[in-house]
Amino acid sequence: MNNTVYLSYGTFVSPLGVGIEANFNALKNGESGVQLQPKSGFNQEDWYFSKINTLPENRYDTLLKLALADLKKQYSTAVLQDAQTLFIVSSTKGNIDALPNDVFASSREIIQKETNNPNNVIIISNACISGVLAINAAADYIQFSGYKTVIVIGIDVVSDFVLYGFQSLYALSDAPVQPFDKNRKGISLGEACGIVVLSKDQPSNFSVEYLGGASSNDANHISGPSRTGEGLFRAINKTIERNSIDKTNIDFISAHGTGTLYNDEMESIAFNRCELAHIPLNSLKGYFGHTLGAAGVIETLVAMFSIEHQLLFANKGFEELGTSQPLSIVQSTHSSSVKTVLKTASGFGGGNAALLIRALS
Amino acid sequence: MKIIASTYLSSKGAYLNGEKIVQFTDENWLKACYQHLALDYPKFYKMDNLSKMAVLGVELLANSGIFSQIDTNDLELLFANSNASQHTDLKFIDSYTVAKNPSPSLFVYTLPNILTGELAIKHKWYGENSFYISPNFDAQLFATKIHQAYKKGVNYCLCGWIDSKLEANSTLSEESFLFLVALNEENASLHQEIEQLMTQYNQKEKE
Repeated sequence: MNNTVYLSYGTFVSPLGVGIEANFNALKNGESGVQLQPKSGFNQEDWYFSKINTLPENRYDTLLKLALADLKKQYSTAVLQDAQTLFIVSSTKGNIDALPNDVFASSREIIQKETNNPNNVIIISNACISGVLAINAAADYIQFSGYKTVIVIGIDVVSDFVLYGFQSLYALSDAPVQPFDKNRKGISLGEACGIVVLSKDQPSNFSVEYLGGASSNDANHISGPSRTGEGLFRAINKTIERNSIDKTNIDFISAHGTGTLYNDEMESIAFNRCELAHIPLNSLKGYFGHTLGAAGVIETLVAMFSIEHQLLFANKGFEELGTSQPLSIVQSTHSSSVKTVLKTASGFGGGNAALLIRALS
Repeated sequence: MKIIASTYLSSKGAYLNGEKIVQFTDENWLKACYQHLALDYPKFYKMDNLSKMAVLGVELLANSGIFSQIDTNDLELLFANSNASQHTDLKFIDSYTVAKNPSPSLFVYTLPNILTGELAIKHKWYGENSFYISPNFDAQLFATKIHQAYKKGVNYCLCGWIDSKLEANSTLSEESFLFLVALNEENASLHQEIEQLMTQYNQKEKE
């Protein structure tokens, strides 16, 4: 019996463009959505973040509809409305403008209206690891719960709420984010919607094999990363053990790399404890900012770009290593043999998650 | 799969394995519950209501000795509610619109999964965590996730419906339902058992 779970492109909407092609080309050209946003702060400070300028009012719902419209160009109505197709949404805040009402109601309504899918939409809201968790959950629904196709939608938009919140924590950078760099000052926020499709049957378009994933809690602090990288260390090890993958076969790590002092330091410790420090690694926050619930999904899409095009993308904003432990940061966008990729995420609430994907053999 | 322990908490009272432990009359029932349990965990007072309800429910389970009887090394936390962190979200909005000073101590609780983080910290649980949002309590969602965890070799799941919802009349409707499941064998009727347990607690609460 073939137990392979296939992972293929859904769509990608970010400041760099609408669709898979547009985002791949912009990324290859080194473009970034992270721009100066004058007077965006609570006290009219200028912050940098990655904003989709074409979104009008009702930005979350509009972004979701835009992404679904592109998805519908590639997937037939028959697949989208099939009872064996499930939708999972990964978002930290949903449509926050709906408060005090249910911020996730519009996600369910829009997906059901646009696709006519009969199943309840599953919503995962687990801070910045939501996207990786959602992809891992999607594979579980295929492997153990009888679904043929699971469509994972990672989405979040920048709002005053989130911006003022990170500002109040002194977590924002007053320059474009520089993950893992010695001069890093914090986060640049971002907004995006990424969609990946997991399936039991091999799709006709480009796909990779989803090997598996796991999560683990730091059991340390609700808003600060563990000093020992415990949760990330455990999540990575569990992912590798569950899949009986030889660590030496990992070609590339798509890290979280938010650009805060403590997060990036924690990751360097965890990757060293896992003996993975020599493997090329990057953070994509320099291109897209930190897109919260969308991050794990869009970064998995980019990991798929790396496998399809045998290309590693530069860790934008990086000049000199600024972590206590060594890391092999990708310094320029270049061709490379990329077969197996480890994707990781860490977030508030002490959550850490990882997943592994591999080129089809 | 077998439900080996459960608790239910609301403003009316606290229940453990179907039995009423204490009735609340105090409007501040979370504090009353904390005092009833003689809990000494000063961090409790800094938490939002969701985390408080989760911590208290787990404390009731812990006092029954159930966690010392099982291996919590791979304990998986599966949690859900209907409105994420709605109550704290509104308070955080007030902190910048009314008080004109965005509050970092409120902001860190504007994510529902902070409560699983609080549980992990208090009990040193390093297992898998995930937080789901469903419009209403969904026994099938839990049963499906538990089945998946069983297939992946997990031995125990601690499941929780920790809900704090602002009603149309501006009152808060709050409940904390926790159940611990041993994943020793398949159980096709697990979702009915979960549903029945929740129904029983909701009926007892009305008595």
